[in-house]
Amino acid sequence: MRLLLLGNEAIAYGALSGGVAVATAYPGTPSTEILETLEEFKDRFVHWAANEKTAFELAYGAALAGARALTAMKHVGLNVAADPLHSAAYTGVEGGFLIITADDPGMHSSQNEQDTRWYGLQSYVPVLEPGDPAEAYKMAKAAFELSERLKHPVMLRSVTRVSHVRAPVELEPPAPPKWGRFTRDVKRFNLVPANARERRKELVEKWEKMRDVAGEYVAVEGAGDVVVITSGVAYNYVKEAVRRLGIVATVVKLGISVPAPRKVAELAKSVIVVEEGDPVVEFQLRAMGVATKGKLDGYFPKYGELDIGKVTAGLAKALDLPYDPPRPPKPPMEPAPRPPALCPGCPHMGTFYILRLATAGLNPVWSGDIGCYSLGINMGQQDLITHMGSSVGLGAGIAVAGRQFVVATVGDSTFYHAVLPQLVDVSTRSIPILIVVMDNAYTAMTGGQPSPSRAVPVEKITEALGLPTFVIDPVDIKRSVEVVKKAMEVIKAGKPAVVVSRRPCTLVAARKARRAGVQWPRYRIDPDKCTGCGICYNLLRCSAISKRPDKKAYVDPALCVGCGMCAEVCPFGAFVPEGRRDRWLELWQQA
Amino acid sequence: MATSIVVVGVGGQGVLTLAKWIGEAAMTEGYDVRIAEIHGMSQRGGSVEVHVRFGREVYAPIVEEGGADFVIALEAVEALRAFRYLKPGGVLVVNRRVIQPPGRWYDLGEVIEAIRTSWPKTYIAPCYDVALGLGSALYENSVMLGFVSQLLGLPMPPSLDEKNRAAFHRGAQLLQNTPPADQ
Repeated sequence: MRLLLLGNEAIAYGALSGGVAVATAYPGTPSTEILETLEEFKDRFVHWAANEKTAFELAYGAALAGARALTAMKHVGLNVAADPLHSAAYTGVEGGFLIITADDPGMHSSQNEQDTRWYGLQSYVPVLEPGDPAEAYKMAKAAFELSERLKHPVMLRSVTRVSHVRAPVELEPPAPPKWGRFTRDVKRFNLVPANARERRKELVEKWEKMRDVAGEYVAVEGAGDVVVITSGVAYNYVKEAVRRLGIVATVVKLGISVPAPRKVAELAKSVIVVEEGDPVVEFQLRAMGVATKGKLDGYFPKYGELDIGKVTAGLAKALDLPYDPPRPPKPPMEPAPRPPALCPGCPHMGTFYILRLATAGLNPVWSGDIGCYSLGINMGQQDLITHMGSSVGLGAGIAVAGRQFVVATVGDSTFYHAVLPQLVDVSTRSIPILIVVMDNAYTAMTGGQPSPSRAVPVEKITEALGLPTFVIDPVDIKRSVEVVKKAMEVIKAGKPAVVVSRRPCTLVAARKARRAGVQWPRYRIDPDKCTGCGICYNLLRCSAISKRPDKKAYVDPALCVGCGMCAEVCPFGAFVPEGRRDRWLELWQQA
Repeated sequence: MATSIVVVGVGGQGVLTLAKWIGEAAMTEGYDVRIAEIHGMSQRGGSVEVHVRFGREVYAPIVEEGGADFVIALEAVEALRAFRYLKPGGVLVVNRRVIQPPGRWYDLGEVIEAIRTSWPKTYIAPCYDVALGLGSALYENSVMLGFVSQLLGLPMPPSLDEKNRAAFHRGAQLLQNTPPADQ
């Protein structure tokens, strides 16, 4: 069966054909669709975990017991799971264990550009690098057998331009899941120092063997003295660039880029290396005594993602050939930036507005976090965002450093992912920060995966830890401001407090309403009442509302979802609803 | 040789779906296809850009600046942003619609006129108006699909439902009534 599949779907189907039984993940762009695809298959254990470490552990444990297991995450997710990753190489596995990471060169939706292949080198785990969806399918399928043959975890490194590329893929039917039962082997699985020292010796020997195994995954195309070594998605650009320059070249594609296969060093004394990310292959080749022209000496750019133009220019430079790059035309008018914004009617939009009113004059440090609410940057209410959990973690540090008032904003999914242990620190040392959990019941930024917030409500946890907790509905702006002011009293008394701002994701609510044929109210502007004060488009910043040339507001009827927050903040009563708000808000709360 | 297309618009307009339909149509014609999508941030009312390449043999999934045979824009300000992808002689197709970006007001007629007069091979397609006539702005991507299919030399993709098929045909008619761009 030949289908037009997203790379992530191809990986999922590959794993199914490879007999995966246990699959776990935490959502993160560009990796999310792998588990979303597997969720449909009820004969396997498929689970959205609290974070990448718990996801990794579930899969690793299953593989220790002999089951075929995978865990999938975005590149930075592997940082969270790095502890068990390193141990997994020491113990090895019984069942095939596939660790999938999706890197994001160019940082389309990430905070850094890390190349997870380094983790392969550091943890002694071989890295498969597919170049397109069809190859991703084949590699995901074969990875389980490879892992069982080596009795070792294997990593599959995808990138945005593999995971989120659609291409024709030839599919085979799924294989039955392979389950397992744990067999005791204390010397191997219990890494007390005496055992770990033995495992370490074995690991180093095993790694040398894997260099030869990597040699089985080398594909050589073409001929000629010019040797280009490449891997993953970069191969595609090399193929087109070689043709564009009209050169004769031997193109060597590494299917396993870590460890670099020994036999590649014997191909040529001097090679050109083209790879997406850091010069991971190039470093390894230089260590084997091969002269290279790649990213290390600037033949190819050291940041951003590759494309045909960059690879063509790099090859031309390395070969001393003339190359005239295309000149992009200029538009007749400047396009104004259109940064991502909170969706029209997003409950977070109300929460940010409420927080600004309730903390007016206090000039808080806005300690932010990963997820939809990162878009609070548009309101000047995300002074820092560095990683999952930065809101409370760094916010608490800032609060103890100089007694500054900190508002830490975090979504529900990130709360369970990273903030739970931080609460223990905040509570035991009574660090006076205001923790605001924007609970929209979904992991919304990645497309609405389930969050634990309904099964284990935030306030149950925070109250158990002795943290005074206040629950608000953000579309009820006036009342919520008063409640947050009460929370501020706790902070002023030198203690931490928690506000849970609860209303489900607008996108999910609107999707469900559309399916059920429910009409929501729409707001329009009464131009006689609108004074052009700008509260709605400058302060609330609803993206369904824009500023007309005469400064009056305009509501795009196709974008309005009837939350009515604009009517709550407008001092002039200029927003007129068409339809009933109260019934819609009730239905929405159940989304 | 592959045909390189950049499809742009604003999050929520169905840019990803339009690109996927083009890819499907190309696949039914026996072409190899690559569609490079960007998920995540772009879905939140931000600019959305999808690259589609099809041909007998395709490797690279993305189009470089100055390398697009076609730029298909579901929104006029995004058409301005995607100008840089056009290769000399490339075709620009723009939906007659502005979705106002934050902090600046664009006059629809003014933007459209600026685009029309600054690129020789420009088609202006009133997909938004036609879609509204069909009952919902949601159809503007299928109207656009109908409009560009003949320019791309591709058939109607098989996965369209009845309503989108009707929208496709309206788009195809639009093209019939539009003078060729390259005079």
